[in-house]
Amino acid sequence: MTLKNSSKTWGSLSIGLHWLTLVLILGLMAVGLIMTDLPNGPQKIQIYAMHKSFGLTVLGLTVLRLLWRLFSTSPDEVENTPVWQSWVAKSTHVVLYFLLFAMPISGWLYNSAAGFPLKYFGLFKLPKLSNYDPQLKELAGDAHETFFYILALLMLMHAGAALKHHYLDKDNTLTRMLPWLAKKS
Amino acid sequence: MRYLILFFAFVSSSVFATEYVQQPGSNLGFTGSYQGEAFNGNFAKFTTAISFDPAKLTQSKFDVRITLSSASTKNSERDEMLVGSDFFNAKAQPEARYLATKFRALGGNRFVADGVLTLRGISKATPLTFTWTPGAKPQLVGTAKVQRLDFKVGIGDWDDVELIPNAVTVNTRLILSPVTTPASTVKPAPKKP
Repeated sequence: MTLKNSSKTWGSLSIGLHWLTLVLILGLMAVGLIMTDLPNGPQKIQIYAMHKSFGLTVLGLTVLRLLWRLFSTSPDEVENTPVWQSWVAKSTHVVLYFLLFAMPISGWLYNSAAGFPLKYFGLFKLPKLSNYDPQLKELAGDAHETFFYILALLMLMHAGAALKHHYLDKDNTLTRMLPWLAKKS
Repeated sequence: MRYLILFFAFVSSSVFATEYVQQPGSNLGFTGSYQGEAFNGNFAKFTTAISFDPAKLTQSKFDVRITLSSASTKNSERDEMLVGSDFFNAKAQPEARYLATKFRALGGNRFVADGVLTLRGISKATPLTFTWTPGAKPQLVGTAKVQRLDFKVGIGDWDDVELIPNAVTVNTRLILSPVTTPASTVKPAPKKP
């Protein structure tokens, strides 16, 4: 497996970034759902701080991923893909990338407008995207929540489509992103 | 009788320090730190009764009452927490009070009020260093350092000084004007015929 992507398969960097992003997002989603109901206290602040730092990590990884995808191209579609499937897949990918930016940025904006500090894993301070602004805070908070549900839905579609390709169509759509699956069969 | 009141009004104005009340534009604030970032807060509601004369420090007096629920740090979650039971406990003790009757001159227009701050039912000596700029509307600009845990502000898990350091700086800028007492506004009585 090479580092770079080819016309046939994904390279190791794209594969690594894809699955790392998935793990981070699943963690962020679970913690994000639970943390708002926690009793107020230093522990809650710590958990929020971690959620923010991991979310910013996804933002950084997404920038890296997109740059790498543009630089290193991406594999061609499997042969004989119907036009409608190709269109749905491409649209889903565009919206997924949009959400990978929109989730952390709406969270960052929410944090800024609420007047909270932001430090990346306690290491360095990040700039505020806004001054204290209760109206903007509400807007950004609602956006963060709405994006969450859209993201959850699209992730299910994305995973469902991959499984359909693997088990029903028996093509290599999933194995080129998950090469270990191919070696077994 | 009327002459007697006027006489006392005259005498008192010369013996006691001038009384002042705060004017719009006065500010009472504080600076703390939270999650490694400094933040500023202020009290929208506070009343000051100040008698001060640099030449009559022994007759001077500060009495400041602060409505704790009026605290704002430009963060609604933090403000809610701040007036809540773990911090100011504003429901149980709505006011904080600063009372000073002892003053020291530091030279020039600088002074120290050796006053006592009462917060959450706890009283603690809290010196306030200030400059006094005399005039028709004198200005008082002062700062005091307090340790929040001395007053049990932030109890339970909140006593973590990594998250919220103990030191808080209180700062104030008062624009004052002399109290116009009813006695001094009484017109001179006409001479008896």
